[in-house]
Amino acid sequence: MAHLSNNFSEWVNLQIDNESSFAFSEAVRSPSLSKLAGGVFPTRKDEEWKYTPLGDLLDSSPGRDTAVVFDHEYIESLKQAMPLAHTIVFLNGEYSEEYSDSPTALEDSGLSISPLSQLEGSALKLAEDTILNSTLTDDNIFQHIALGLSQNGLFIEVNKNIECQTPIHVIYISTAHGVTAFTSPVNVIRVSSNSHLKVVEQYASLGEAAVITVPASYIQLDDGAGLNYYKIGVENASTNHICNTSVRVAGSGRFESHQYLLGSNLTRSNLEVSFTGPGAEAILRGVYLGDENQHLDVRTYLDHAYPHCSSDQHFRGILNGHSRGVFNGLVLVREHAQKTDAQQSNKNLLLSRDARVDTKPQLEIFADDVKCAHGATVGELDSDALFYLQSRGIDKKDATLMLTRAFAAEVTQEIDIDSLQTYVQDKVSASLDEIVIPSD
Amino acid sequence: MLSIKNLQVSVEEKPILKGLNLEVKPGEIHAIMGPNGSGKSTLAHVLSGREGYSVDAGSAHYKGLNLLEMAPEIRAREGMFLAFQYPIEIPGVNNTSFLKKALNEIRKHRGEEELDAIDFLGLIKKQMKLVEMKEELLKRPVNQGFSGGEKKRNEILQMAVLNPMLAILDETDSGLDIDALRIVAGGVNKLRSAENAFVVITHYQRLLDYIVPDFVHVLSDGQIIKSGTKELALELEERGYDWLIEEAESKA
Repeated sequence: MAHLSNNFSEWVNLQIDNESSFAFSEAVRSPSLSKLAGGVFPTRKDEEWKYTPLGDLLDSSPGRDTAVVFDHEYIESLKQAMPLAHTIVFLNGEYSEEYSDSPTALEDSGLSISPLSQLEGSALKLAEDTILNSTLTDDNIFQHIALGLSQNGLFIEVNKNIECQTPIHVIYISTAHGVTAFTSPVNVIRVSSNSHLKVVEQYASLGEAAVITVPASYIQLDDGAGLNYYKIGVENASTNHICNTSVRVAGSGRFESHQYLLGSNLTRSNLEVSFTGPGAEAILRGVYLGDENQHLDVRTYLDHAYPHCSSDQHFRGILNGHSRGVFNGLVLVREHAQKTDAQQSNKNLLLSRDARVDTKPQLEIFADDVKCAHGATVGELDSDALFYLQSRGIDKKDATLMLTRAFAAEVTQEIDIDSLQTYVQDKVSASLDEIVIPSD
Repeated sequence: MLSIKNLQVSVEEKPILKGLNLEVKPGEIHAIMGPNGSGKSTLAHVLSGREGYSVDAGSAHYKGLNLLEMAPEIRAREGMFLAFQYPIEIPGVNNTSFLKKALNEIRKHRGEEELDAIDFLGLIKKQMKLVEMKEELLKRPVNQGFSGGEKKRNEILQMAVLNPMLAILDETDSGLDIDALRIVAGGVNKLRSAENAFVVITHYQRLLDYIVPDFVHVLSDGQIIKSGTKELALELEERGYDWLIEEAESKA
């Protein structure tokens, strides 16, 4: 059963005929728009969406609030995660010249950055080719929303043999008062042979009205290229966020991803990585931290299609209140992908009786000379460790906080940008401080 | 300082301590010896406030306070310390920041000013010499990747930093080679004073060569069946526990 009619799908259908300026040419938009014209959204009867209800999102009918005022101090506080980065800010989907660093700062660096709305000629074609080459499945309706309705986003391109010293920090902020704010930014990142780059995508929201954010990111790494890609979600409790990320890593390339889902009402993050040559590597890390009625859903798909590639995934969930976490990780090792090394680990900490997690790590192996392992755990804090801390004078609440922070820190300590590591760890601590630990 | 009267404790309805009496005064070192399963570790756990033990009768007072009603952290803040038989590994919690937090909780409780990072580092470096511990262990998560001996030394380091009034050492000698044993005992001896007291729980007499007790008690089947001085420990070393247990049974 599909949601045949709802506020959101009706709104999407109206947008198809909208004359607004869209980011992409017909070549990219048309296939997506024809998919959207059907207006079919998944329900929990679809296996892929079994654990994730879309009700809140589908009830919303986005509008456009031209009088919205953005909070200057809040924007500045978000920038503090990456004070040394080249920063690009989008406000309710629109590129903000005021808050973004000037692209001229990057001249002659071998790195070019442009909002999609300003892209033309060969650069636009390169961005669109990257999207058309991507691996996201054709029945992924939220990808079609992003591609069909996107008005903006960011294109990043690095030439060959460049060590980019300055990381890129892209901040998407939605502010919604009275009217539901919808954005569907698209990011395209191309890293040419033997170049290395770090990109942080941060999503934030303000206001009492609903926010819907449907981003899609398309990443392509050429031979020997490397990208460290960080996604930080710090949205408010009226935000529904559904994103798709497609990554193609060529031979000897290295993709490193860190996802920290620390806010929102609903987040579903789908990350698909394909190796398109031998000897490539993918490192995937993430923490999802939920409280109250939050729903955080992380999906990963790793396609080992070439030999001698390695992937290493480590995701941790911390769930309190009535929150719910979902981890679904599929590693596919194809017949010719000999000498594959694929590791996957998902550990979850439930801080309340009403919190819940569904975890499903999966390995599908068709090659015979591989090293693969996966595992998942769901548990409570170690009572021996709690008692040990208490026996040294630390009360139960503080001991619980220390152990929970430590549980997250085993992943967050791998963030190799100092300011970002501090920012994420402080956010985790602040969220945990607000959590009421039941005393028994 | 510590007064235990007729303490009866069970675990999952199985009686473990069956009327235990013990008086510890400031400046004293008491050794509690006994065969496996006699209730030694249960005594240590009940005194430190571990969950899962049911006190069926009797009382335990520390500095006049009803110990059995106090949360574990309050016992610690009032100056009690348990050196664990099996110190717990805590991944992700830094050894130094853990100990600084513990010390400052205790100082706050006493109405003393909290130590800042610099003062704390000065203190901990001084106390590390006492237990001959490598400085790199301070940077690691609590007990993670420590050898058995390093874990026990870390317990004694914590004791030295927290400076308790009453320390209970639960089989601190188990799994230690003779050098580590000497270092751990040396740490205890340097900390002993006329104001504080130690309860040393051990299976073997060996530790008592290095930490000389004022009193030795033999625990068997949940009761202290004999008390004496350090000579009793030597006799136990020579003759084992059986003769004492038989003697106690024939009396009963």
